[in-house]
Amino acid sequence: MKIRIALIAAALVSTAAFAPQARAQDSSVTFQFETGRTGGTVMVALFSSGEGYNRDQSVASRVVPVTAETVSVTFEGLAPGSYAMRSFYDINDDGEMNTNLFGMPVEPYAFSNNARGNMGPASWDRARFNVNGAVVQTISLR
Amino acid sequence: MIPSRRSFLLGAAAMGSSVLTPDVAEAARLLTAQDAVATDWGLVTRDVEGDIAPHRLTRIHGRAPAGLEGALYRNGPAKFRRPGGSAEHWFDGDGLIRKFSVSDGEATLAARFADTPKRRQETRLDAMVMPGFGTPADPRAEIGSNDDANAANTSMLKVGDDVWALWEAGSPMAMDAGTLETRGFVTLRDDLKGMPFLAHPRVEPDGRIWNLGMNGAQAIVWRLAADGTLENASVVPLPRASYIHDFTATARHLVIVLQPWVQVRQTMPFSAAFDWQAGTGTQVLVLDKDNLDSRRLFDLPDFGFFHLGDAWEEAGGTIRFDVCAHADMRFAATGATEILNGVPLGGEPARLALAVLSPDGSARLDRTTVVAEFPRSDPRRAGQPRRFSLHTAGESPDRPFATAIGLHDWSTGQAHQYDFGPDHVVEEMVVVPKPGQDAEDAAWLVGPTINLKARTTELHVLDMARLSDGPVASWRSHTALPAGFHGIWAD
Repeated sequence: MKIRIALIAAALVSTAAFAPQARAQDSSVTFQFETGRTGGTVMVALFSSGEGYNRDQSVASRVVPVTAETVSVTFEGLAPGSYAMRSFYDINDDGEMNTNLFGMPVEPYAFSNNARGNMGPASWDRARFNVNGAVVQTISLR
Repeated sequence: MIPSRRSFLLGAAAMGSSVLTPDVAEAARLLTAQDAVATDWGLVTRDVEGDIAPHRLTRIHGRAPAGLEGALYRNGPAKFRRPGGSAEHWFDGDGLIRKFSVSDGEATLAARFADTPKRRQETRLDAMVMPGFGTPADPRAEIGSNDDANAANTSMLKVGDDVWALWEAGSPMAMDAGTLETRGFVTLRDDLKGMPFLAHPRVEPDGRIWNLGMNGAQAIVWRLAADGTLENASVVPLPRASYIHDFTATARHLVIVLQPWVQVRQTMPFSAAFDWQAGTGTQVLVLDKDNLDSRRLFDLPDFGFFHLGDAWEEAGGTIRFDVCAHADMRFAATGATEILNGVPLGGEPARLALAVLSPDGSARLDRTTVVAEFPRSDPRRAGQPRRFSLHTAGESPDRPFATAIGLHDWSTGQAHQYDFGPDHVVEEMVVVPKPGQDAEDAAWLVGPTINLKARTTELHVLDMARLSDGPVASWRSHTALPAGFHGIWAD
């Protein structure tokens, strides 16, 4: 179990790289991250397909300074369709998702829908949500 | 032993796959029912549906000794089955924290479940879905960390004003010592969040706490002050990835016993990751508490174990510790699944042995014929030379639970015992020193039994110096709680 949990960290740490978004549309998604503390940053990556999600190829990503106990980020100009999001709270702002001595994450991480995995990252099926117009999700990153 | 239909059936069940077929279970149940033994094992692993409000126990025998004031905190699984799915192993039920208080000659009992993320999720789904020691993960389980599967169900530790409910593969769960309200998982340092903390810390007489947390062939060594402040945490490599439920310690050493039940694969349930490697022996790694890089390795013959007694070092440097030695770890792999299904094991119970590690690097295991599990000893002498080991006794191939409490005197080889009889399931008892007295046997022994006939939980107090006389006081609850694992006494 521990080894599989360590994979979550690996998957999340590498979300910095992303491809540019496809084309501008009118839809958007806003994530309100509840961190319960201030300081550090939230790293957010958005995906538009199961394949991209599994291969860690995001369509957009943001780094959000945590200046209040709830911070928001909006991805605008999205084409209607299915999306999923991965995030982690870089509390100490070192640019990495820190792990404990046995490789398990010690910084909070979350997926869209507040989905949880089953001894690994939440699957696309659990994290997937539909965007058509303006969508808002509140995500717990405690 | 002459093979019988029963031993054949039970042996087949015990050696087979982890899934007990209904046919074998039913056959064993019918055979057992023909014998004149108490067989309502269902009570021992029954489900408790909710917290047990504090209630006064009825005194049924003797009277509480003057000076015995405090509480016995015990932990053990008490919820296994839900309509949408059930735990498949005794070790995977939800932790119910029981508090037996003794004051002014009266006894009370209260019990509350540890309010874990596991229990919340399984309550919401009305299904046991979390993977564990012997239960595979259900696809519905939502597991983002090991603490999401933490059952907080194995033992207790007093830390400052709180008690901690301990599992072995995740964080301690802090509980209010008075109300048993769950406070939450304990993170000893931000960068150590979620690191495992075994259910068998070793507490020095001055209160300092040593513990391990396991991850294959490495362990974190925890050192905490009596108030729970982290003093040190470091990772040490081990010679092999043995299953480690317990370790022991002298005043100067950590003693880590590496049995030949070794993790050879990454899988769940956890017990399926281990193979019994017969003939490879049991190793003992001794580390200096002051310098964890100072290591000595000793070789003993094959044995399996869950539980060790406190170790001690003699003037010449010889280290001794008691162990409840099993022939192998069949019980862990499959037996505890069968217990949950109400079936006796057909296997040999553990027997008391003394491991002797000599300064010249040799080691031996002095076995006794005494049936023993759940070893305890005088907390005033933890890590120091001592004479006595307290243990449960009376298990047999037909009877997976103890009927008796035993006291072994290593100085004379004498074994004292008090048998509560076949109607009782005897749980671990703790040694409670008599105030102001220092003799090793100047202590009370406090622990519960399940009275299978009366269908109630009882609390007993025995005088350690007169153990064979039986309880000096006994009380009875209006309810029967399932068998617990480990407890502590707190004044």
